[in-house]
Amino acid sequence: MVRGIAALLLAAFAAGASGADRGSLKAGVFDPPRAAPEFSLRGTDGADFKLSRYRGKVVALGFGYTFCPDVCPTTLAELAQARKKLGADAKDFQVIYVTVDPERDSTARLKTYLSAFDDSFLGATGTPEQLADVRKAYGISIAKKTVEGHPSAYLVHHSSFVYFIDRGGRLRAMLPFGGRSVEDIAHDIRALLKSERKP
Amino acid sequence: MTSRFSPLVLCALISVPFLAFGQTGGAKLQVEGAWARRAAMMTGGAGGGGSGNGAVYALLINAGKAPDALVGVASDASATAEIHETYRDMDMMMMRPVRKIAIPAGKKVAMKPGGYHIMLLNLKRDLKTGETIGVTLQFEKAGKIPVTATVK
Repeated sequence: MVRGIAALLLAAFAAGASGADRGSLKAGVFDPPRAAPEFSLRGTDGADFKLSRYRGKVVALGFGYTFCPDVCPTTLAELAQARKKLGADAKDFQVIYVTVDPERDSTARLKTYLSAFDDSFLGATGTPEQLADVRKAYGISIAKKTVEGHPSAYLVHHSSFVYFIDRGGRLRAMLPFGGRSVEDIAHDIRALLKSERKP
Repeated sequence: MTSRFSPLVLCALISVPFLAFGQTGGAKLQVEGAWARRAAMMTGGAGGGGSGNGAVYALLINAGKAPDALVGVASDASATAEIHETYRDMDMMMMRPVRKIAIPAGKKVAMKPGGYHIMLLNLKRDLKTGETIGVTLQFEKAGKIPVTATVK
């Protein structure tokens, strides 16, 4: 089911790439844009976390976990580098990282992990059920795997794309892992920052 | 796409002091441009380390006439280290430990984000941009090659 939604989203994004919006964004676009599903979790800022609170900002929404050494840090480092290129506009750009590993990722742990990349990045966690609902809404698949030789350790394989949500809370683009340069990511954020001043 | 590789190219240019050669076993092995991703040590890990993980990347060059393979890794920055590989399955990026990375004679194998990497388990300290860590790569024929990896 989740795979199905992911496939649907990928199809939408592939279709969008050939649509009228092509050229303005480097990542795969949603054409037409659709409302980013709302969710309510616990945030690393210690407060209840609602996506809708970030209306008015451009949001990069990613999924991952703190034990992830390669893909998640690469994604977060690229987003951090892209944010630095925004200059004064960085205040209107928010990275939100939702854990796929609530058993091990406390809000404190997520905060420490994210601060290695950028102090402004926010993490969110919740009950396994809440997080499963969020993943379903966004077409994110996960698969928990134990590591050979480490019976107590496990990895959580997960969909690695990042969503870009505009100031009006609409899904606008989907960035595949390793698909774009930092310059292209910054370009897309700037384009979305300009595309609409207010929700 | 090209710009994804620019850090690696940059690495290669500035890595001369860090260039390491394997001298033993007749294989001429070079490890170039080793770098580590910044990471937080975290708390509560095993083996005297934290519970954070990290990753190290480098270019492995076999300038010799015989095949060789990377068979083991260690670092002063973590309790343990392993050779891992990230691979893609549909839209999911998966990761698995690998026993060895073969480096055919006269070939280069890149360890890079989204591919082969040295996974640092249970970091002993935060890896902060600009700092360096020691990493030792163990090759089947060339033996142990110590390198210095810069944190980015």
